[in-house]
Amino acid sequence: MLNLFRTEWLKIKKYPGFWWIMGITVLSYPGINGMFYFIYKENTANTKNAAQMLKMLLGNPFEFPEVFRTTAFASSLFVFIPAILVIMLITNEYTYKTNRQNVIDGWSRNEFLIAKFLNVVIISMIVIALYVIVTLSIGFSTTGPDVKDKFQLAHYTALYSLQVFAQLSFAFLLGLVIKRAFIALGVFIFYKIIVENIAAQLLNRFVHADTGRFLPTESSDLLTPIPAFLGKLDQKVYDHALGLINQQVFITIGYLIVFWGLVFWIYKKRDL
Amino acid sequence: MSILEVHDLKKRYGKIQALNGISFNVPAGSVFGVLGPNGSGKTTMLSIILDVLNADSGNYSWFGQPASPDLRKQIGSLLETPNFYHYLSAVNNLKITNSISGRGDRAGIDAVLRKVKLYERRNSRFSSYSLGMKQRLAIAAALLGDPQILVLDEPTNGLDPVGIMEIRELIIELSKKGHTIIMASHLLDEVEKVCTHVAILKTGTLITSGSVDDVLVDEDIVELGAADMEQLKAALSNYPGKTSTTVNAQTMQLHFPKGTASAEEVNRYCFNHGIALQYLSIKKKRLEERFFELTNN
Repeated sequence: MLNLFRTEWLKIKKYPGFWWIMGITVLSYPGINGMFYFIYKENTANTKNAAQMLKMLLGNPFEFPEVFRTTAFASSLFVFIPAILVIMLITNEYTYKTNRQNVIDGWSRNEFLIAKFLNVVIISMIVIALYVIVTLSIGFSTTGPDVKDKFQLAHYTALYSLQVFAQLSFAFLLGLVIKRAFIALGVFIFYKIIVENIAAQLLNRFVHADTGRFLPTESSDLLTPIPAFLGKLDQKVYDHALGLINQQVFITIGYLIVFWGLVFWIYKKRDL
Repeated sequence: MSILEVHDLKKRYGKIQALNGISFNVPAGSVFGVLGPNGSGKTTMLSIILDVLNADSGNYSWFGQPASPDLRKQIGSLLETPNFYHYLSAVNNLKITNSISGRGDRAGIDAVLRKVKLYERRNSRFSSYSLGMKQRLAIAAALLGDPQILVLDEPTNGLDPVGIMEIRELIIELSKKGHTIIMASHLLDEVEKVCTHVAILKTGTLITSGSVDDVLVDEDIVELGAADMEQLKAALSNYPGKTSTTVNAQTMQLHFPKGTASAEEVNRYCFNHGIALQYLSIKKKRLEERFFELTNN
């Protein structure tokens, strides 16, 4: 295992694309959450009535414990950035035909995939670490000492972690199947943003009201629901979404098993 | 002892039968040439024995054992094209080869880069290399750690004449040191110069395999010449045992079944018929000629 990790590190430590996208990821996660926070702060800092009413309506989504849910939701919108990296790391191997050279040099096909699995795990861990740092930074800087149970919603860290790993695993599967970086990335974004949203709506309307949540990325998207203040727009629907999270955990784990099962099965059967 | 035993390998791509029951053995210490026209299945066969393609049926073994990643680590291989990370230098690419295969070390990396004359450019990115330099790096990767077995698919691709000669000398040198080399090539002249054994493929079928001498010699040829070629031709028209005669401007060739020709008897026969020979030689077929015969090209 250590050798697999060492070899992957040799591949990526001097790969400019890795550092560029990692840099963008590192900047974008604090950036998007910071932006939302400052918009909120600007609009509620005013002592005028309208601003204070808005503050009453929104509550403080950036205070503990709600900040865990708010940043999880905002961060989940940018999962496509590390997905670019995951897709590039697998499609590069096809582009340079180094996936076959790795096997020729003595890795088994499974070892190659385990090495790539480690990549996805590590990228997920970096993204999760960013989420934790951003959440704690915003939370501690906005929350007064009077707030009890600061970490009441800390389990959103685990939910967000599962979501990130599931969606990056899906991106990896697409990269492995499609082999071409831009096509795989295009399919990932097109599928996730357009196809699945439309499919979910159609399924919900024409099959059953709850069918859309079983789709591959929708299932993990529902792990990080919208912040509570947005939920007030339709409290009933929001409460239902919160109630489904436990089921979505199992559906997502099921998809993770399917994604990686497919990855290993395809690679075993495929000519390199 | 056989280093590699291939038994009844079959591989189909849709309607194309790329390999049709290939079987052969590669003896230890041999330089084994795999020859065949384009599309004959050479690279497919090498890809299967290096586990990047799955055979439809048949099997193969290295060192008398079923193939495995650990056995593959002991084999230095260059398959089809140089496959390296374009953004990494030669040294960093070879570090990856070393990390995966366990072959060589940092000093070994420098040594192989010197051997293939890439040492001066060792820190340049692979993407900045010419085709010949990329091929040299692929050969360096195959040589890393001095593996006893080398599989080289078209090793002289993209090399200039000096590079081709260097690779030929390298193969001969490695062969003398006891390495086993399996080499696919289009360059019949190169193969003839370095190989001890050959296998010839055509459209996925093994036409022949064995030692170069066995494959090349399907008949004995005596080539001879005299001042009066017409008299020589007439005298030898009824020479016993010959199967055919080929006449050129200055020489003629008598063809005999394999193992039956005697230059001494031909010389005596001509002398007894009053002809003094100016030239007499037992001729071996060129690999090129034999290859074209076998593949009907």
